[in-house]
Amino acid sequence: MPDLGVVVLMIVGGVAVGVFGSLLGLGGGLLIVPMLTLGFGLPLREAVGVSLVAVIVTSSASAGVFLERHLADLRLGMTLELFTATGAMVGGLIAFLLSERVLAGLFTLLLIYTALTMARGREPKPATETTVADAALRAPTVPGDRPSGLPERRPYVVRHLGWGIVGSLFAGVVSALLGIGGGLVKVPLMHLVMGVPMRVATATSNLMIGITAAASAIIYLLRGGIDVYVAGPTAVGVFVGASIGSRSAQRVDVRVLRLLFVAVLLVTAWQMAGRALR
Amino acid sequence: MTVARDLDRTVARILTGGTYLSVGLLAIGVVLMAIGGVSPFAVGPAFDPARLPADLVALKPSGYLWLGLVVALATPLGRVAASLIGYVAGGERRMAAIATAILVVVFVGVLLGVAAQS
Repeated sequence: MPDLGVVVLMIVGGVAVGVFGSLLGLGGGLLIVPMLTLGFGLPLREAVGVSLVAVIVTSSASAGVFLERHLADLRLGMTLELFTATGAMVGGLIAFLLSERVLAGLFTLLLIYTALTMARGREPKPATETTVADAALRAPTVPGDRPSGLPERRPYVVRHLGWGIVGSLFAGVVSALLGIGGGLVKVPLMHLVMGVPMRVATATSNLMIGITAAASAIIYLLRGGIDVYVAGPTAVGVFVGASIGSRSAQRVDVRVLRLLFVAVLLVTAWQMAGRALR
Repeated sequence: MTVARDLDRTVARILTGGTYLSVGLLAIGVVLMAIGGVSPFAVGPAFDPARLPADLVALKPSGYLWLGLVVALATPLGRVAASLIGYVAGGERRMAAIATAILVVVFVGVLLGVAAQS
C-alpha cells in the first residue's frame, strides 16, 4: 500500500477508535492496542507505547473540560495519582521484562472482563456507608463552590482511602502494561469503595489518566518503545474521533452500540488469545 | 473556596492549551509525513532532544512529531507543577507535598528510563 494510504488508514482507524470509545465512555487504549497489533501488525509493546500517548492526549482534553466545570475532584485525583503514577512506573519497567505472549494473554483477559461487564450493563450502586473523613480530601466538595449556572455537586465524604491507594497502584501497573487509562479499575474503585459519586469518579479518573500514562510513557519513550511515525497519525486520529464522539453522544442509541462493542471485544479477545498461545 | 476554583481553572487551561499545542504539532508532523511520503511502517528515528531544533528548522516530520509527543507528556506534568505552586501559595502543605511526590515519582521514572538506555 502507498505510504500516504497507510497514513490515512491509521488516522481513519484512530478516528473510529476515538468515536467508539468516546460514545461508550471508554478510553481509547482498549481499542488502540488491538487496532495497531491485529490491524497493522505492530509488536504489542510498541502498540502499548503509542496507545499511552493517545490516551494522554484525549484525557488531557476532556480533563480540562471536567475541571472547568468543577466535576473532577483535583485533590482526590492528585492524592490517588501519586499511587497510580508509582504503579505505572513499576509497570513500565515490568513491561520490558515480559514476553509479547504474556502481554497478549493479559490483554485478552482485559478484553473478556470488559466485554462481560458491558454485556451485563449493570450500573454500579453508590456506597452508603461513611467511615473515613479526610479533611484535605473533603475540602473541594463543599456545596456552594460552583460557578453560577452549573449544577451543585452533591457533597460526599471520601472513605476507605487505604483501599483507594492499593487499587490505584494496581490501576497504574495495568495501565502501563496494557496501554489503557485504567478507568476500568479506578471508576468502580472510587465509586463503590470510596463513596465518590459516579460523575465525579468518572471525571476524576479521567484527570488522573494523564499523569498515570505519562509516568510509564516516559519509560517507553526513553527505551525506544514508541515509534513516532505510528504515534503521530494514531494520536491525531483518536483526538479527532473523541471530539466527534463527545459531540454526538446524545444522538446515538448507545444500547445497540454497546452490543456491537461487546461482539467486537469478544472477536478481538479471540484473536489476541491466538497471539498469546502462538 | 475561590482559591480552589481558581486553581481548577488554571489547571484546566494548562490541560486544554497543552493538548491543542501537542495535537497541532503532531498534525503538522503527520502532514509533513504525507508530503514527504514517509510510511508509518518506516522505523522512526529515536528520541534525541539535541537534534530537535535542527529537525524543526529543516521541516522534518520527526521533529514536529517528537515535539508534539513531548508536549503531550509534559502537559499533565505542567498541571501538577501548577497545582504545586497553587497549593504552596495557599499554604496547603499536605497537597503541596503530594504534588511534589508525584513529580519526584515521574523524575525517578525518567532516571530509570535513561539508565536503561545506557
